[in-house]
Amino acid sequence: MVGNKPFKTTMLYILASFVLIVMVSPYLYMVLGSLSPWDQVDRRIIPTEFTLRSYEWLFFGGEGVLARPWLRALFNSLFVTLSSTILMMTTAILVGYSLAKLKFKGNRLINNVILFQMFYPAVILLIPLFLIIRYLGLYDTYWAMILPKAVNLWAIFMYTNFFRSLPDELLEAAKIDGASQLKIVWKVVLPMSKSITTIIFLFLFMERWVELLWDMLVVNSENMLTLNVLLAQMFGPYGGYPGPMYAASVLLTLPILILFIIFSKNFKDGMQFVLK
Amino acid sequence: MNKSNARLGWLFASPYLIYSLIFFLFPLIWATYLAFTNWNLIAPDYEFVGIQNFIQAFFSESVRAAFFVTYKFLGMFVPIVVAGALFLAVMIHSLPKFKGLFSVAFFLPYLASGVASAIVVNGILSYNSPFNIWLRGTFGLDIDWLGSSILAPLIIALMMAWKFAGYYALLFVAGLESIPKEIYEAAEIDGAVGWKRFWKITLPMLYPSFYTVTILAVGLMFGIFTEPYVLTGGGPDLATHTWQLEIYSQAFERLNAGFGTAIAVINSVVTFGSILIFRKILEKWGAKHGWE
Repeated sequence: MVGNKPFKTTMLYILASFVLIVMVSPYLYMVLGSLSPWDQVDRRIIPTEFTLRSYEWLFFGGEGVLARPWLRALFNSLFVTLSSTILMMTTAILVGYSLAKLKFKGNRLINNVILFQMFYPAVILLIPLFLIIRYLGLYDTYWAMILPKAVNLWAIFMYTNFFRSLPDELLEAAKIDGASQLKIVWKVVLPMSKSITTIIFLFLFMERWVELLWDMLVVNSENMLTLNVLLAQMFGPYGGYPGPMYAASVLLTLPILILFIIFSKNFKDGMQFVLK
Repeated sequence: MNKSNARLGWLFASPYLIYSLIFFLFPLIWATYLAFTNWNLIAPDYEFVGIQNFIQAFFSESVRAAFFVTYKFLGMFVPIVVAGALFLAVMIHSLPKFKGLFSVAFFLPYLASGVASAIVVNGILSYNSPFNIWLRGTFGLDIDWLGSSILAPLIIALMMAWKFAGYYALLFVAGLESIPKEIYEAAEIDGAVGWKRFWKITLPMLYPSFYTVTILAVGLMFGIFTEPYVLTGGGPDLATHTWQLEIYSQAFERLNAGFGTAIAVINSVVTFGSILIFRKILEKWGAKHGWE
């Protein structure tokens, strides 16, 4: 039995690698599709030659078809997602800190209301939220995509729990040294929360980046669309251009992948807290 | 000092309070009112119609479809994703090295946008895709994947399972890591090895993670929009017509804002009730086997 162990381990790694390849194969298919000559897209899994024609088409147009505003859409996605995510992070850190460390009347009440809101089905709000955006005159603006996504309850909840676990003595010491609360948050609390901040940022960014329904509802003009919405809308009429669709999908996936790889070092520690 | 703390506390919390007032409380009240009107999103005038929307929803074919489609998705998605995540987790857990690497790699599909994965799935399943040509050539199978009312929901369920299995696996891995080694050692002395060990120890000890994953997976199915919207548009014959699609199409395509809101209210009640029932079943099941 003992002699079998290396064999078993090897088999396990082979199995794991096989599953891994299966899991990432849709990504590979997407990349290969984006680099295929157009007559081979969805016809051959591995193209006989590689071309950047699909990417060229995306950015410069061609063949009697107008260049779609892909670059603009990529910019919109980045702008909207980054603004929303930064706002969500800022509010979550401040609110979380006040709930966890600043003892004030109403603190518990707010905490309970947040819990209630988190489990409240958000779909009821969809139509009135749309109406509010319209009445505020924000329809078809960046604000419409950013403002309703400026506060995230899950992030507040996570930060509140994490900040509670930080020792009060440390904050007290900083206070005695004359630091203001804002400075304590910035200089003491945040550096201690790197791994959780990484995870919350990644999750918020990812969720905001792939948002479809809301961004589709509140924005109308072509140069305001996010990449995700543009791609979803092109799916019908431009389904005849599968190569560029794959190229756009790659564009849509790449930023998240890059972010994820940059932060993957902090991933495990933060994840452990989030999964608790 | 305390007073300034309180002022600062309210100041820090104020973004949340203002946000909740404008984007939660106010729309919530508005929604409750709208659900009882026949407003069409455009006309300046509308009337209070009582529970007419709810009666109409009861007899609406598409609302009924949304109701049943969700359970169909649940029946396909939950077993697949829970079993898949459990498989991945056990595999990751038993690897002596590179645990982190594999778990991160399995997590990657979670990062994919539903739109991008719908495009890929559509490409793989399109009529002349290499996969379908191979099926026709080798087995003589000519399958209309997205045009079949049984296969289309299954494909969406599989797509979602692909996306979420790695994420849920992380929850299971956390659960597996929390099982004390002594229990396994004791079990080995008692002769519990291999499958027996898995069924008698690992699974019961994993019950809390199992519970969390299942409830998360159930909740997810009540809110899916992107995948069916892009891939099937709810078809064929409403076979993938989810609640969100129904609300979207009623309110924003047919402009029945009042009716759409009523459906959203029904949806939230159904979601809440269903999750409650699933929780109770899981808890009963766990208690019956003595798994807390």
